[in-house]
Amino acid sequence: MNKNFLEIENVTFAASNKNKVSNVSLNIENEGDIICLLGPSGIGKTTILRTIAGLEKIQSGSITLKNKIISSKDIHIEPENRNISLSFQDNCLFPHYNVMQNIQFGAARNKTNKKDLNINEVIKFLHLEHIVDKYPHQISSGEAQRASLARSLLSKPDLLLLDEPLSNVDQSFKEEIQVKLKQVLNDLKITTIIVTHDSYEAFYLGSKCGIILDSQLKQYDDPYNVYHFPNSVEVVKFLNRGILIPAKVTGENSLENEDLGTIKGNFIKHYPKGSDVQLLLQPEDLEHDDKSNLKLEVVDRKFRGTNFIYTLKTLSNLLIPVFVHSHHIHQHEVDEKFGIKRPINIDHIVCF
Amino acid sequence: MVFKKFNFWFISSFLISLAVAIPIITVFISFFETTSNYLSILQSTFLYDYIFNSIFLLLGVLILTFIIGVGCAYLVSFYKFTGVNFFKWALILSFAVPAYIYAYSLTAFFENFGTAFSILKNIFGEGDYNLFIPKFDGMLGAIISISFSLFGYVYVLTRVSFHHQSQNLIELGKNLGFSRKKTFFKIILPSARPAIVAGLSLVAMETLSDFGSVSFFGLSTLTTGIYSAWISFDDLTLANRLSFYLLIFILGLFVLENFSRKKAQYHTPPKGGFKLKSLTLLQGHKSLLAFLFCFTVFFISFLFPVLQMLYWTIIFPKHFVDLNVAQLFLNTILLVFFSCCVLISLAFISNYGNRVSKSKLLETLTTFSISGYAIPGIILAVAFITFVSWFDNNIISLLNIRTIKPIFIGSILGLVIVYFVRFYSLACNGIKSSYLKINYSIDESSYLLGYSKFKTFINIHIPYLKNSILLIGILIAIEIIKELPITLIMRPFNFETFATTAYIFASQDLLEAAAAPSLFLILIASIFILVTSRYILND
Repeated sequence: MNKNFLEIENVTFAASNKNKVSNVSLNIENEGDIICLLGPSGIGKTTILRTIAGLEKIQSGSITLKNKIISSKDIHIEPENRNISLSFQDNCLFPHYNVMQNIQFGAARNKTNKKDLNINEVIKFLHLEHIVDKYPHQISSGEAQRASLARSLLSKPDLLLLDEPLSNVDQSFKEEIQVKLKQVLNDLKITTIIVTHDSYEAFYLGSKCGIILDSQLKQYDDPYNVYHFPNSVEVVKFLNRGILIPAKVTGENSLENEDLGTIKGNFIKHYPKGSDVQLLLQPEDLEHDDKSNLKLEVVDRKFRGTNFIYTLKTLSNLLIPVFVHSHHIHQHEVDEKFGIKRPINIDHIVCF
Repeated sequence: MVFKKFNFWFISSFLISLAVAIPIITVFISFFETTSNYLSILQSTFLYDYIFNSIFLLLGVLILTFIIGVGCAYLVSFYKFTGVNFFKWALILSFAVPAYIYAYSLTAFFENFGTAFSILKNIFGEGDYNLFIPKFDGMLGAIISISFSLFGYVYVLTRVSFHHQSQNLIELGKNLGFSRKKTFFKIILPSARPAIVAGLSLVAMETLSDFGSVSFFGLSTLTTGIYSAWISFDDLTLANRLSFYLLIFILGLFVLENFSRKKAQYHTPPKGGFKLKSLTLLQGHKSLLAFLFCFTVFFISFLFPVLQMLYWTIIFPKHFVDLNVAQLFLNTILLVFFSCCVLISLAFISNYGNRVSKSKLLETLTTFSISGYAIPGIILAVAFITFVSWFDNNIISLLNIRTIKPIFIGSILGLVIVYFVRFYSLACNGIKSSYLKINYSIDESSYLLGYSKFKTFINIHIPYLKNSILLIGILIAIEIIKELPITLIMRPFNFETFATTAYIFASQDLLEAAAAPSLFLILIASIFILVTSRYILND
């Protein structure tokens, strides 16, 4: 008997030859776990959700939910018999029913004995109070998305699939809804797979994150590990949270880069001394120090509210991003010199 | 992908489409069957007359309906002038007047010593006015009758297309320095091309299958040729083969239009880019000209036949008194009710079957089956009678069961079945276009909320499409009220409708007696049109 709540074994997800994710294997261990799938547009994330929901068939492998095979080459349980709810990215509310009636469709489906979820609570936390009497064509796409989310939540499925659930939601609501959504999902122990292109959203909501690139599930791990210990150059490039610079391994805990000098830290993987590697340098790895003799030229400065991101150019024309707190006293303009604290110490060293 | 299997919906949809396709298949098979020597006689005598007259009639009607339909649609869609809101809906009242009743009115008014003569005599006294009154009979009479009866198709579809055209298109023309005339010909008209072509296609099919007005004017066309082949020579195969030529001809027109359109797209992108049009206010003589154009069309297409029929009904009250209005009304409504129920239910099931099955085979069969709209009602009726006779002689007789002919021939049931085949495309296309507005993810959402396909059909689709169903039902009702050849051939003994009563009187040269049933027919159809005018004009 399988121990995992959901098991996907060697499944190739394909709606067409273009949208294909091959040989995917992943598990959700416990009921109530939330996982997130990240990847570029058009890679096939939605196809994965549609297949799990039963809207597409599979030709190989199997999908098992609560120890019951729901999809395989020979078995296909119809979507209406799976107790899986999918909240589509686009508005898919029933156009001839108002928002309240649409939401009630979800509540009517709930036949479980799970802890009750009050319809008014959901309406409140998703900020839908003012639109419950309106019809789908009278509301914005963000409101429709929240209404669809409410309908899915209230159906209390065994597995909830959310396709970019907050992509059209106003930024002002987004973080609050993320917090409440996570709380509700945890309270009700609703196992959830969320597809998103927002890595911060994925890192916050998911207990695990899957990165889909080049028609493959490249990495499936804790958000912390995905961010700090990406397992491939492709994942680094996709997350876009650092750059790879050439370096030579000089010791057990050190490397040497011709522009930045010695870099110290703990290798997460062993490399022989003298090896040439590509070192992952993330914006938070470098510290600003005006007194340092390592000066790099500022080529760009982005204000991001709590911090600035400086883009610095090295002598060998590498462009390196550096975070600096926005209340930092000494601000630098483009073309000015920017000091980097030496020696450079990195908590964990990721190389390829 | 999921539903590619033989489920209830697939099988139902397949059987419905197949049933509708049988007469069309019969028509196609006729091409390979032997005919009587009437074909060789026909080839050396009237066949080319039939073809020439059909083409000439078609061209004349297409040109006239294009000018009237597009002209009216343009004026009411882009300009504000006196009476524009009235004309928007009043112009569709022409749908209520069938071409054959228009033909009666035209003849009655312009014939020697007709209504025009009486008017002139009353105004100017005795005189030989017949010499100066133009005669609209033969080809000209048929072109005018059919055009003013059918231009509504072009008007309605073009108007909807103009209505949904964005102001951006017009402003684009201004930015490019186009004059108003150049904007119309280079931007507005090409953008409405699919709608205009759709309207003209319907006009073409109706024209080629028209029987009432061409037979009234004694014009020999392919349709009357089909009728002669059946009635005079009892050669059903030849009748079918002539229908086949007719179908090929219509198909050729569609292919030609599609080919010339290439890959051009005409719709406005669904997201953004649409800006409501600001109408241009016409003043002075321009406003008067626009008013006169629309009023003339309204007068000629609707008021003229109504007034002519009303005039005769009043001056010949005996015919009106003799008319059993209640019975005719009941018969007409009975046919409308049963036919609408059958057509809408089956077209709905067929469309839903297509939707959930996603089968190319089913889609192709459905597309093929709806081409039956182009087959003249006469041939459908005859094909049905032939099929029932063949089935009775070859299958039923073997089973030693009593003949089934009385059940299907000369019965309400048979009549409703042939109506079903004839108007299936109207119901099917109407429901299909309504279905196109329902995103497929709506169905998927329903499945994911635990609703089966049947429950999705009942709880989601039917409530959503109820307005469309009503609208399609009324459109079918209007067609059935006006329908003539099928009702004439298939009706039970002594079962008359307003249409058949009017035709019988007219065919006996008793036009004044045909006036009252014609007037009632127009009245009922007008009421239906008025009820649905808001929907017809917007969608």
